[in-house]
Amino acid sequence: MDSDRRRDSRSWDWDSPQCRSQLDEIFFRENDYIRAGSPEHKEFWAFFDRFQRFKIKREMSGSGFSGEEERGGKDKKTGTKDLGLPKEYDARYRINVSVFTRDVEERMGRSDQRSRQRSSGPGSQEISDFRLALLHFLDFSQKQSFGKLAKLRREQKNLPIFQYQDRILELVRLHPVVVVAGDTGCGKSTQVPQYLLSAGFSHIACTQPRRIACISLAKRVSFESLNQYGSKVGYQIRFETTRTTSTKLLFLTEGLLLRQIQQDESLDQYQVVIVDEVHERHLHCDFLLGVLRTLLKQRPNLRLILMSATINIKLFSEYFNSAPVLQVPGRLFPIQVIYQPIPPEEQASRSEKLDPRPYLRILQGIDQRYPPEERGDLLLFLSGVAEISTIQEACQIYATHTRRWIVLPLHSTLSLAQQDKVFDIAPPGVRKCIISTNIAETSVTIDGVRFVADSGKVKEMSFDPKAKMQRLQEFWISRASSEQRKGRAGRTGPGVCYRLYSESDYNAFAPYPVPEIHRVALDSLILQMKSMNLGDPLSFVFIDPPPSSSIQTAVTYLKQQGALDNRSELTSIGKLLAQLPVDVVIGKMLVLGSLFNLVEPMLTVAAALSVQSPFLRSSQQNPDCATARQPLHSNHGDPFTLLNTFNAWVEVKGERGGGSRKWCRRRGLEEQRLYEMVNLRRQFKELLKSHGLLESEETAPSGGDRAKRRERLTERRKLHQLKRDHEQQEGSKRKVLKLEEGQDGELSGSGSDTEERGRGRKDKKDRKEQDVDIQEVKFKLRHNVSELQEAVSVSQDLSSRQQALLKLLLCRGLYPQLALPDEHNTTRKDSDQVFHTRSKQGVVIHPTSVFSSDPEVLHVPEADSRDTGPDRKDSSKHQLLAFVTLLETNKPYLSNCVRVPALQALLLVSNSVDTNADCTRLVVDGWLELELKEPEEALRVLSTAISLRAEWERLLQAQLGQNQAGEASVQGLSRRNREKLSENLVRFLLYTEVVYSLQRLTALQTQNLYVGPQPESDSSYAETPDLSLLFPGADPKPDPIKGGLQVTSFFTYNCLTDSKDLYSECLRTFWSCPNCDLYMPLTPLERMHHEASCRPAGEKEQEEKESEGGRAGSSSMSALTRAYHCDVCNEDLTLTSTEILKHKRQHMYSAK
Amino acid sequence: MDEAIETPQKTFTCQLCGLSSPFTYYGQKPPNTRAIVLLEECFVTKDPFSPEKDKFLVLGSTCSLCSLCVCVSSDCSLFYTKRFCMQCVNKHLDQFPQQIQAELTKKQSSKAAVS
Ligand SMILES: [Zn+2]
Ligand SMILES: [Zn+2]
Repeated sequence: MDSDRRRDSRSWDWDSPQCRSQLDEIFFRENDYIRAGSPEHKEFWAFFDRFQRFKIKREMSGSGFSGEEERGGKDKKTGTKDLGLPKEYDARYRINVSVFTRDVEERMGRSDQRSRQRSSGPGSQEISDFRLALLHFLDFSQKQSFGKLAKLRREQKNLPIFQYQDRILELVRLHPVVVVAGDTGCGKSTQVPQYLLSAGFSHIACTQPRRIACISLAKRVSFESLNQYGSKVGYQIRFETTRTTSTKLLFLTEGLLLRQIQQDESLDQYQVVIVDEVHERHLHCDFLLGVLRTLLKQRPNLRLILMSATINIKLFSEYFNSAPVLQVPGRLFPIQVIYQPIPPEEQASRSEKLDPRPYLRILQGIDQRYPPEERGDLLLFLSGVAEISTIQEACQIYATHTRRWIVLPLHSTLSLAQQDKVFDIAPPGVRKCIISTNIAETSVTIDGVRFVADSGKVKEMSFDPKAKMQRLQEFWISRASSEQRKGRAGRTGPGVCYRLYSESDYNAFAPYPVPEIHRVALDSLILQMKSMNLGDPLSFVFIDPPPSSSIQTAVTYLKQQGALDNRSELTSIGKLLAQLPVDVVIGKMLVLGSLFNLVEPMLTVAAALSVQSPFLRSSQQNPDCATARQPLHSNHGDPFTLLNTFNAWVEVKGERGGGSRKWCRRRGLEEQRLYEMVNLRRQFKELLKSHGLLESEETAPSGGDRAKRRERLTERRKLHQLKRDHEQQEGSKRKVLKLEEGQDGELSGSGSDTEERGRGRKDKKDRKEQDVDIQEVKFKLRHNVSELQEAVSVSQDLSSRQQALLKLLLCRGLYPQLALPDEHNTTRKDSDQVFHTRSKQGVVIHPTSVFSSDPEVLHVPEADSRDTGPDRKDSSKHQLLAFVTLLETNKPYLSNCVRVPALQALLLVSNSVDTNADCTRLVVDGWLELELKEPEEALRVLSTAISLRAEWERLLQAQLGQNQAGEASVQGLSRRNREKLSENLVRFLLYTEVVYSLQRLTALQTQNLYVGPQPESDSSYAETPDLSLLFPGADPKPDPIKGGLQVTSFFTYNCLTDSKDLYSECLRTFWSCPNCDLYMPLTPLERMHHEASCRPAGEKEQEEKESEGGRAGSSSMSALTRAYHCDVCNEDLTLTSTEILKHKRQHMYSAK
Repeated sequence: MDEAIETPQKTFTCQLCGLSSPFTYYGQKPPNTRAIVLLEECFVTKDPFSPEKDKFLVLGSTCSLCSLCVCVSSDCSLFYTKRFCMQCVNKHLDQFPQQIQAELTKKQSSKAAVS
């Protein structure tokens, strides 16, 4: 009967868009449960079509819904009660939802009367047909979602840890510390936090060693706890957070939790702290455990849960007073282990390339033993990038030949797109061969791996405290790592692990990897310990204490950097650096940059130096990339190249938006790194602001631009939608790889548009959506491009003066990381240029550095120099390199270098400058010797440097001190001083034309460098008490080790062995001061001092005003007068130091 | 910080299969559903699988005969004008229409084959 009716309905066509939109207007209005235009609305109409087809089919086959008469009521058994079910079966009785449409029908009725549209509008039959379809759709989507929920719950129940839920909660209630040990796949990371939540715990922190894990776990747990769009589960990683006040469970990195403890000593914000993956023994994790151990004494009700693989559990339990351990079995399939040691003739010696034969045999073996229909990929562990490319090359030849393999490299220096490929699917009959560093051991998990081949080797970074150098060395792995690698074969089914070493090798491996705290430089750690008042780092109870020499080295380094004073206490800059979650060196740069008008470029450089280089190694050899990159290069140094690159990128972003992706590809740039830089940069800026080091700009949005704001708002809404859509699709779109993948090297990955999509149901539209550059979307959401462009334009086209100053700041930040070009570099090939640091001789520049392709800019120009002896050149153009890293791989390499004028930079930043009596010979930091030709010039340059440094220090301290006190900034006052200082610094850097020679001291010279302490009776020291008065603030006294006179913290006068007597009259020469009317014979020292304290009249007034302004002139030279008691005339006088000098001299001469 | 342990969320648990999940609403008219009405009192939560905010998901309800709390899974309950737990359905199977009886027998036999 339905069909009869339908035939009657006039011109109603379910397929016509007009008809459909009429129904949309009735049922799917803006406020309805389903809105027209929403994804669900699209789904509905797709469902509707299926539903109609199904109905028609039913009608045709004659088995209509209501066809059969029910027997239900007929043979009722006695004793059962009547359920009162309808006699006639109808599928709609099975739906527990109804759509209330009286208002719709009323509307229909009204429009009936009002217009003649009746003929084309839906009739009551259509409405009811439609409503029925809608009910079925609602029922269908309910079933679908509930099905997912049920599946999720089933999976949770099947996790090995599920049975331990109650036991875990019980242990946590009874004990302050609990250790949960379970292997891969037991579900501890996702489930334990949920168990705690459901038991009513709130304020839970769960730390992870990796940022990426924080994000994915927060997503997973919030999904599993059906709270995906709430905020109860969040994550917080460096500079990014989803945390809100209602967050109950927070995933965060270990480092970040440490920062929080730094702010909130008793960590009151958390009730439970879970430290996950403690067995990985990262530096931060070991430290965190130590800190938490102390904290538990203050917070007896804090609950601590350590989660670990089943490795070395006793260590953790014992460290926490024999905390109870709960062991959960893992869920691994059986794995067959095959030992296949490499025969001696195929073992590579140190210098040779790896022999690929043992690896090829594994591929062949798999091909012979396992039919291609049986799926399963191979994961091959090698020690490093060079090894990977050697084996990749050989395997690729085999793969091209057999057409049964797709070879893919995996390591952290690959582009992300390239890394991502390992997750794609191989076509039928083909296996992936993933050749990876130990990144795939824990950080990256690839499904579908059935075979593992383990070389047993790993390259690990270690720190050589003697050479102050990082070293990347190859080692045998530990048994724990070996097992971890093996386990990767048994995640989805039974697997095979080939070990390219013998069982006896395996047994000889160390049980566990060396914890990071034993391998790395401890600078940041010690700094943080100092700021947390944890006492002497040497007596802190670590779970596995680092060697004390390592702690000593770090303390010394921090002293050199000015973060600790001589008593190993934090300096004011040290206090600030400890608060900044960045490397000490980077933090220093930021602080220095904030003092001068170089914040914007410094922010960029600091960010650039904190992320991996955006320049892809693989494109190094590509001539097109090299040409396209050329305009970005700066021969001042790599930080400037990075600065140019970033600026150019922002410009492209502003002009072309998403076009930047192509721009980057053409230049061999990994755009992801630039996105990281822009985020980091912004966060640095916020950090500086929050520490009062940067005036917050008044960004009052101009009220008149309402239209513009609305426009931006609409755009943001759109962007948010795009982001949500993207997140929805994420994960469900693994591509199918092509056989040719990887054949033509790493660059082939860039044009992935041709790749087919896996899992057939994706249509064209999806592909278009996938093309949305999600990074661009996120970028636009996070940053205001035009604001950024403005900020960047400040740092574009730096004047040579600004450039010089920026270099100096970089150099001071990087100090003592300085390298001296070898004196014979001019006669060497470009590739053989050699440099020396204080602690390591013969280092080279990394091929990625701009100086490796352009070393001439570091040479002393021939025209400017005179050879004055063997290995000795007189010039005013000597340069040094300041560098960010010194890393030894096959050679010791310097990377991220910047060149600076040697004499000026050394005088302005070094910790120790020693001179002879007429200051023509300077020894810097006990390793660099500078010999100046003219005593007059030497004196002038030294004295200028000393007063510049004093002023710089004074302003820096003022800036730091002021911010710590939290006072309102006295910016206006000091701005003039800062401008003046930067002016003077620049002049000093650019226009000091002093001829000198620059060389390293020989070992012999170093041994006999200083005169050493002089006996009290020595005639030249008779005047010493008087001299102390010459240096206000500073306390000049004979240096007890070097001899001579320590004038400032960095400057020791007349301590070098060839020095003449301290005050021998022959050194006095007549001199007239340009600022006052002083004219008298002075020693160099006296003269320098006078210059430092005697300023032009105008400046003096300025300064006096300043010290009236509240801040007592600290240790600097600003306190011009002092109380002086003269023993000779027995009078109390108030004099400037120069006046004291004059006064004393008066007596001196008259006495003689 | 307030150290008191918060009261656990309201949780729905199926008394037949044990499936449990927090619910945000109990009744026939979940929030923001406009024209939609439920034909029974249900335990409802936000649909965690929908990208849209206001979608609801019915977790379960009580059996109209024995008041057992059951989830909407076809293993645990059946809705036919009213909610019936599977125990009650089996007890009164004869009163249900042929279609449903056939479906259930088919399901049972396939289940038996699996286990
Ligand atoms: Zn159930
Ligand atoms: Zn029942």
